[in-house]
Amino acid sequence: MPKRVAIVGIGQTKCGFNDDGFSYRELLYLATKQALSEAGIQREDIDSAFTTSYDFLEGRSLSNQYSLDSIGGVMKPCDLRLGEDGIYAIFAGYMEVMSKPGQIVVVASVQKASDRRPDADPAITLSTLEPVYVRQVFTNLPAIAGLEYCLAAMEARRYMHCYGITEAHIAKVAVKNHNNATRNPLAQNARKVTLDDVLNSEMLSWPLRSLEVAKPGDGACTLVLASEELAAELSDSPVWIRGIGWCSDTCYPAASELAKTKFIHIAARQAYAMAGIRHPAREIDLAEVYDNYAFNELQYCEALGLCGEGEGGRFIDEGISEIGGSIPVNPSGGLLGQGNPLGTAGLMRVAQAALQLRGEAGDCQIAGAEVAVAQGCGLPYRAGGVVVLSKW
Amino acid sequence: MARRVAIVSVGMDKFASRKVETVDEMVYRVAKNALDNAKLPREAIGAVVFGCAVDAFTATQAAEKVAIGGAGGRLRPTMRNCTSGSTAISTPILGYLHVASGLYDVVMCVCFEKMSECRPHAQHVFNTVYDEYFVRPIGLNVAIQCSLEARMYLRRYGNTELQMAKVSVKNHGNALDNPYAQLGKKLTVEDVMNSPCISWPVKLLDTSPTTDGARAVIFASEDVARDITDDPIWVKGIGRGGDSCWFTGRRNSDLARLDYAYYAAKQAYEMANIEDPSQEIDVAEVYDPFTYKEMQHVEALGLCPEGGAGRMIDEGISLREGKLPVNPSGGLLGEGNPIGAGMSRLCWAYLQIKGQAGGCQVPKDVNTAVCNGWGGMYQYNAVMVIGRD
Repeated sequence: MPKRVAIVGIGQTKCGFNDDGFSYRELLYLATKQALSEAGIQREDIDSAFTTSYDFLEGRSLSNQYSLDSIGGVMKPCDLRLGEDGIYAIFAGYMEVMSKPGQIVVVASVQKASDRRPDADPAITLSTLEPVYVRQVFTNLPAIAGLEYCLAAMEARRYMHCYGITEAHIAKVAVKNHNNATRNPLAQNARKVTLDDVLNSEMLSWPLRSLEVAKPGDGACTLVLASEELAAELSDSPVWIRGIGWCSDTCYPAASELAKTKFIHIAARQAYAMAGIRHPAREIDLAEVYDNYAFNELQYCEALGLCGEGEGGRFIDEGISEIGGSIPVNPSGGLLGQGNPLGTAGLMRVAQAALQLRGEAGDCQIAGAEVAVAQGCGLPYRAGGVVVLSKW
Repeated sequence: MARRVAIVSVGMDKFASRKVETVDEMVYRVAKNALDNAKLPREAIGAVVFGCAVDAFTATQAAEKVAIGGAGGRLRPTMRNCTSGSTAISTPILGYLHVASGLYDVVMCVCFEKMSECRPHAQHVFNTVYDEYFVRPIGLNVAIQCSLEARMYLRRYGNTELQMAKVSVKNHGNALDNPYAQLGKKLTVEDVMNSPCISWPVKLLDTSPTTDGARAVIFASEDVARDITDDPIWVKGIGRGGDSCWFTGRRNSDLARLDYAYYAAKQAYEMANIEDPSQEIDVAEVYDPFTYKEMQHVEALGLCPEGGAGRMIDEGISLREGKLPVNPSGGLLGEGNPIGAGMSRLCWAYLQIKGQAGGCQVPKDVNTAVCNGWGGMYQYNAVMVIGRD
C-alpha cells in the first residue's frame, strides 16, 4: 500500500452566495492562503499547482488564466489546468508528486455561481449534451428551464424502477444531509428539515423535489499535497492519499445504464485496489460523496461498495449512513447541505473527509475515523473519481 | 523515483480549415492511426488524456466527453487538460505524468480542436478569454495583443518585419511537403510584406489559420515500450512556466522577453542534461501561431542567443537543410493551428527522430528534438525534449 503523498494543508471558504463582494480570484486566494498557512509555508515553497474550472460556468474561455496569481503559481511550473471537477486536481497533483518526489503541490478550485445570471443555467446544461445527436432532442422542449432536472429525473426514475427505491428513501437522504449541515459552519443556508418538509417541497420533475437538489453556490477549496519526506515536517497530522481512481462513461445517455453508476464502480475498484481495501463496507469509516441530487448519494454508495447493488434503500432506512451509523455518509452535509459550487464540490468532499481524519471536523466529527473515501463527479455527471484517505 | 517514459507511436490525420467529421470521428481517426502504428489493440490503453483548449469552439461544455468513444476511453480513466495554446505540449506532459508516476503503463494523449463550427469566426471566441471586469471593456483582442507584443519585441532586439516575413516564407514552404498540412504555399518575402496588415507589424501571412484537426500520441513505461517497439523515443525533459495574468505585474511587463518560456526551457534542459541547446538539439518544432512567436521561442529555447532570431533566419540556420532546422514540418503557420492539436509539434519531432518524416525529413542525423506550446494571457509555456538514448 503506497503511502507517499499526504494532504498537509486544507483551505475552504464558506459556501453560499457570498455577499462580501469577493471576486472568484479573491475567494481562491483566501482558500489558498489558509491552506498554505496550515502547512506553514509561503508561496515561494510551492513546486507546482493545478487548478480546475469549467469555461461556461465562468463565462470566460481559457478560464484558468486569471487564477494563477491567486494560487501563488506565478513563475512556477504551473501551466496545467483540468476541465474537470476539482477532485481530478488531486489525481494530477498525486501524479506530479509521485513523478518527482520531494515536491509540494497545490491543488485548487473555485466557483462563483453568483456571478452567473440564473437564467443562463439551462443553456449551460444544454451545452453539456453531445451536440450532434443528443442535444437536438432537447432543444425544442417547451420547458427548457427545467432541463437539468428532467435529465436527472430520468436517471432517478430508472434507478427507482430497477431497485424498488421509493420517494421516501430519496427524501430521507435529503433530510439527513440538510440536518448534518446545521453542524457545519461552512454550510450554505443550513436548516433543519423534516421528511414532510422534503416531500412537500416543490416538485421539479417527478420524483425530484426542490429540497432534493443541491443549490449552486460560491466557494473555493485548496489542498496542499506533499511527498512522504516532507509531510511530517509540514504537518502534525498529515492525511495520506492511499488510493485514487477515476473513470468516464459515454456521453450518450441511451447507451449507458442509467440505474447504475458503473464509472464510479470502476473508479472505486481501482482506488480500493491501490489502497489494499477488500471489504469497503467493513473497512471504510466514513464517506463523503457527490450528492448533487439526493438519489445520487444512494447510487454512489452502491458503486462505492458501501452497500450491495440495489441496496441503497435499505442503507438509508437502517440509518447506516447517519452520523451515528456504522458508515456515516456526508456528515458535512454534502452538496445538498454544505452547498454546491459546481466543479469545486468534489474537491470539497476530499477536504471534508481529510478534516474528519484529522479530528478537526468540529460538530460533524465522527469519533475514531481512520479511513475515509471521498468521491466527486465531473460534468455532465457520467464521469467521476474516488479518493481513499487514511490517518496512518 | 520517476520511471522513464517513452513515446511509442503517434496518430496523424489531415488538418483542414473545415472538416466534415464530428469531433468524435476526428478523434477516432487519429486514435486508430496511433494504435495501428504501434500495433496495439485499444484494450492495451490504460488511460486517456484529452487536450482541447477551448470548449466554446463547439459550444460543448467538457468538449472531450463527446470524444470518449472515439478515443476508446469508455469506462476507462480519462482526464482533460485545457490550459490554452500550451495545451499542445502540457497535455503530453500530463500523459507523461500518468506513466512516470507509476499509475499507468500505456497512456494515450489525444488533442483536438474544431474551430470551424464557430460563427461568425473563431476570433469571437478568443474575445471571451479576457477578464470581464478590467480587460474586456478595453476592447483588447488577439490581433491587437499580438501586435503590441511583436512591436515591443522588434523594438527591443532590433529585429525586423522582413525577418518575420522570412519565417513565414520558410514555414509555408516547408508545409508543401507535409501531407497533413492545410496551408502549404510557395511564397516570397514580397508576398508576405504586401499581404493585408492585420495590426502592424503583423500581416495576414504572419498569422496562422483557424483549423480543424486532431493528433494522438501513445506513451509507455520503459519495460512495456521495449515490448511494443525496438526503437522507443524517450521523453528526456519536461518544463512548464506560467507568468502573471496581469502584464503590468510582471518583471518584464513590456512583453518583449518571455521570462516564463526561458524558465520552462531551463527546467526541460536541466532534466535532459542539455547544457548548450544550440549545439545539442538537432531539430526544433516550436509554437509559431505568428511569425514573431517562432522568433521569440527559438530564443527562449536557447537555440540562438537572446535577440538573435533575426540573424538565425537571415543566415538560413533554421531552414530545413540548415544547421538547426526549425519547424521543418511547416509549423502552425503552414500546417494549420488547431489550438490544442498543436501537439502536432511533438508528433513531428517524434517523426523526425524516427526518420519517418517523409518529405519533411531533415537531411542529417536526428537524435534529440525540442518542442513547445504557448498560450493563456501570454503567460504559459510548456516544453518537451525527446530523443534516443
